[in-house]
Amino acid sequence: MEDRNKKDRIGLVLYVFYLAMLVMAVCVAGKIVYFQLIWHPEPKIAGPLTPSVVKRTIEPVRGNILDCNGRLLAMSYPVYDIRMDCTVRKNEFALIKDPEKSRMKESEWLRKSELMAEGLSHLVPGTDAAKLSRQIAAGRKDGRKYLQIAKGVDRKTMLAIKELPLFNEGANRGGIIVEPRNIRKYPYGRIARRTIGFVRDNKGLPEEEIKGNPGLEGRYDALLHGTDGREYLRVSDRGRVRNYDSAYVRAIDGNDLRTTINIDFQSAADKALRAQIDSEKTLNAACLVLMEVKTGAIRAMVNLSRDPSRGGSFEEISNHAIGRRYEPGSIFKTVTLLSVLSDGYIKSLDETIPTNHGVVKDTKMRQDVHILDWEREHKTHEISIRDGFKISSNYVFGTLAVQNYAKRPKQYVEKVYSYGLGDNFDFDLEGLLTPSIPNPANKEVWSNTTLGTMGFGYATEETPLHMLTFYNAIAGKGRMVKPYLVESIEKNGNVVDRRGTSVLNASICTRAVADTMTRALLSVTEEGTAKVLRKARCKIAGKTGTSFGIVAGGGYSDVSGRKKYQGTFVGYFPAEDPQYSVICAVFSDPSYTNYRFQGGGIPAATVKELADYVYANDPRFRKEADKK
Amino acid sequence: MEEKRKWKVSDISEILRNGFNAIIHGNLLLRLNVGKYFMHIAYTFLLFWILIFESLMAENALGKVERGKEKLHEMEIVLADKTFEAAMSSRRSAVIDKLHELGSRLEEPQAPATVIKKNGR
Repeated sequence: MEDRNKKDRIGLVLYVFYLAMLVMAVCVAGKIVYFQLIWHPEPKIAGPLTPSVVKRTIEPVRGNILDCNGRLLAMSYPVYDIRMDCTVRKNEFALIKDPEKSRMKESEWLRKSELMAEGLSHLVPGTDAAKLSRQIAAGRKDGRKYLQIAKGVDRKTMLAIKELPLFNEGANRGGIIVEPRNIRKYPYGRIARRTIGFVRDNKGLPEEEIKGNPGLEGRYDALLHGTDGREYLRVSDRGRVRNYDSAYVRAIDGNDLRTTINIDFQSAADKALRAQIDSEKTLNAACLVLMEVKTGAIRAMVNLSRDPSRGGSFEEISNHAIGRRYEPGSIFKTVTLLSVLSDGYIKSLDETIPTNHGVVKDTKMRQDVHILDWEREHKTHEISIRDGFKISSNYVFGTLAVQNYAKRPKQYVEKVYSYGLGDNFDFDLEGLLTPSIPNPANKEVWSNTTLGTMGFGYATEETPLHMLTFYNAIAGKGRMVKPYLVESIEKNGNVVDRRGTSVLNASICTRAVADTMTRALLSVTEEGTAKVLRKARCKIAGKTGTSFGIVAGGGYSDVSGRKKYQGTFVGYFPAEDPQYSVICAVFSDPSYTNYRFQGGGIPAATVKELADYVYANDPRFRKEADKK
Repeated sequence: MEEKRKWKVSDISEILRNGFNAIIHGNLLLRLNVGKYFMHIAYTFLLFWILIFESLMAENALGKVERGKEKLHEMEIVLADKTFEAAMSSRRSAVIDKLHELGSRLEEPQAPATVIKKNGR
């Protein structure tokens, strides 16, 4: 009986326990239903309680720009901005009950921050330790959580900064905030900067450089940049992880751009041009372009402008080779000579014309006084085409143009167009200007003197690149190829898209005429206005040209008689078997007569320096010798 | 012929009442004879346990992936740093300067190279 009572008591206890559990289960179930269906949390606490999913854009790696041999010209490079949360542990110290201990802890923290500032001043040039310490102390007082400590430091410096007192305690105790970002870096510094270009949001470049023509970086931005990816992250016990329930788009890295630039030639061209122009106070710009004859690949392109913001030194600011259109002067005489030879108006360079005291018949053109010197010096009233070309006579080429094309000026203009000197072509850089050629049908611009002055390079406007393309075609025996800068587009070393040579005109003249032109151009460098090139390591054929720019107020000279010189030399080498064509042009502020600004001065001397370098360094010019 | 309905609506209230009484008395599962489904229930528990365990494992792996990504990113940064240094050092002018520092008198070539042919080849 007693046993039974005992069992009942145990049963009762269990039953009560069971009922209690049952009630609790009902309550929990009811609460779950309530939370799920009825209860709406306050927005303030809903945010922290809800696991957030954040969208992150995955940045692709921007492609590199390489020279023709695969050397890096532009690459993405990580730098770091260091900031500081000045308020770390402030509350923790304030909560210490012992005021003495609290003060001690606070002053210890500030002491460490002073040591950090001192260390930083040794690592980051331009950092004032005392000023930074004051800023940190003030920031701690004012509750600044994002004080800039250092900007754009490299990885080595960033790691050294992390080891400084206070910062070596980490983000939570030392307040260090490290923010990485990518900038574009150029291992060759400012060389070819205008050709390589810039990325508009490159915070690593000075502001003055991020304007104007964006070069290859800008033109091929979409290819270089790649495609952004995106992923969604959620917070887990293990930190932020990818949320696999959401969409994920992989970033596609940018392609590499292999250019035609040979950085050794580019450096040599830059050096050669600077050596010639640095000391000339009245020069304001210059350009130098080296192109391969057979392919049209541009191996060097230097564009220098005087930069007032850098103390007047020459920097790559504007692309003069493609973006400067000017009256080319005597280098255009080659166009006239090629036209009369191709049209059969003259058969030989030794043909002569009467000197006529330098006055072009049937025109109102100004007398060429240099012809009077010629008449006096040579005691003759005749001049050969070769001599006229050699001494760069305006009279001879004005006469050739007028004598042969006065009745059919359109024929001459069409010739100019057929040489690619009137049209634009698709170039790898934005900003190639279209030449300006007067139209004989337009009587407003076409006068009695237009044809004659066109004959020696006035009344037209050309860019240096157009003139180089024309001379390159003569070097290529009449085959005109398009200049280009991008050899191929590559991905992980594999060629995705090969660019290359494209022909603008298969034959602008016969081979025989091209050979005659080379002989004429050689006479200029051997006996004519570019005699400085006689000392070059290989034979250079080419033509000098000097024209005058329009000064402020109009006209070719100002009230003091000063002129804006535009001196050019354009040619190719070696003359016997041309491999490279080259143009160098310099542009001056209004200045008094200075031979060095003429085509035979600085431009010819620069071309000599560059040609000597290329001739000595390019493996294609190596010679073979038998072992004896 | 219409089949005769075997249950009444009032049976539902009877079942609910019995069910409630069974819950109160704590013998609902015994009445339902759940014992014969014990293996199924245990198996279901096992499946749920595996599911939770796998989920935790996946979370762990994702955490590792993120840490790996950070390391990979760090390595990429080091690579970019070294690549830039290498590009700077391989500049022709840098090589010449270094050679001069080391006492070399090597200069830029003044003439094209001459290739010596071996045995007439």
